[in-house]
Amino acid sequence: MDDLGLHIALFLLSAMVIVAVTCMYTEAEDGKAIRLFPRRYATFVLASAAIVVVMIVVQHTLASVH
Amino acid sequence: MPSLDSSKRSPVNPNVAALLTWLVPGAGHFLLGHMRLAVAAFVVIQGLYVAGLALTGGAFLDLLAPEIRGPFAGALTPEAGNVGAFFLHVRQIDFSDLSPAPFGPQLYLGLALTSTSGILNLILASRAHFDARAQAGSVIEGAAIHPAAAVLFGWLIPGAGHVSQGRVARGLFCFLLITGMFVLGCLLAEGTNLDRTRHFYYWAGQTMLGPMAFVAEFFSGHPAMEVRPRYSDAGVMLASVAGVLNVLLLLDVYGFSDSKLFGRPLATELKASRRGEPKAS
Repeated sequence: MDDLGLHIALFLLSAMVIVAVTCMYTEAEDGKAIRLFPRRYATFVLASAAIVVVMIVVQHTLASVH
Repeated sequence: MPSLDSSKRSPVNPNVAALLTWLVPGAGHFLLGHMRLAVAAFVVIQGLYVAGLALTGGAFLDLLAPEIRGPFAGALTPEAGNVGAFFLHVRQIDFSDLSPAPFGPQLYLGLALTSTSGILNLILASRAHFDARAQAGSVIEGAAIHPAAAVLFGWLIPGAGHVSQGRVARGLFCFLLITGMFVLGCLLAEGTNLDRTRHFYYWAGQTMLGPMAFVAEFFSGHPAMEVRPRYSDAGVMLASVAGVLNVLLLLDVYGFSDSKLFGRPLATELKASRRGEPKAS
């Protein structure tokens, strides 16, 4: 597996754990925490992707690192 | 569990009890009149710190790279949980000279002991806070395990705090998530994450996984890093994040027991009732 693919896989995995734990922290009822998970996971991944896009844009426009 | 006898009620401020415990292990319970617990906690927690200090020669701050040494360098270490001992330690020893010196063979055991002392003292401080509130208010006996005990179990084995509260499925799920993340991190970093001399602050995150991290460190044998593992950064990060996430689980178990014992709805139940949702069975 190439580096980018592995890092994306690792990110998705760690994001899954982070979101699962926060779902359990915010919802005492197991069933409700499970129902919350898909939406929160999608939000987390999409928000992170948006940040990545901003960082890449900044890197290629403002930063002097090439 | 503190007595509910009104004659034993004390006006001790819970924050003061917790703060005193943070400064001197057992001081909060001394103030609350729990003498045996106060003395036992002081002996065990300070004993761990002193034993660790003897084994490390007090030089754990020397593990920091010279460029990040400073007056607050120790603030994010588990030892800061026993802040009185830590403050005296830093006052007496601080950073030794900057010349490199070989670390003694007992260094790793000593580091495990001083950090365990700090974490146990934080759990004790949380107990002092609850006990002070319990003395002033009414607690429903047997409604749940003591919150500090649940936190201790959750630190000893991630998820065990939930199991001790009867939330077995959640506890097992938490154990699998947290342990899996930690193991994956160790595999990616090829065990190089398990060394405080190499990753001072990330190691601190891992200590929140309890004995599991110390046992893994012991069996890793502190491998020499002749070649940097390809995914060591990702591995160190994952293992440390697993520890930080366990803190969130510890807060969850504390809040659950606290609410049950005081007969108050959980924060999530309050939110749900505000939204007009039916209460969970």
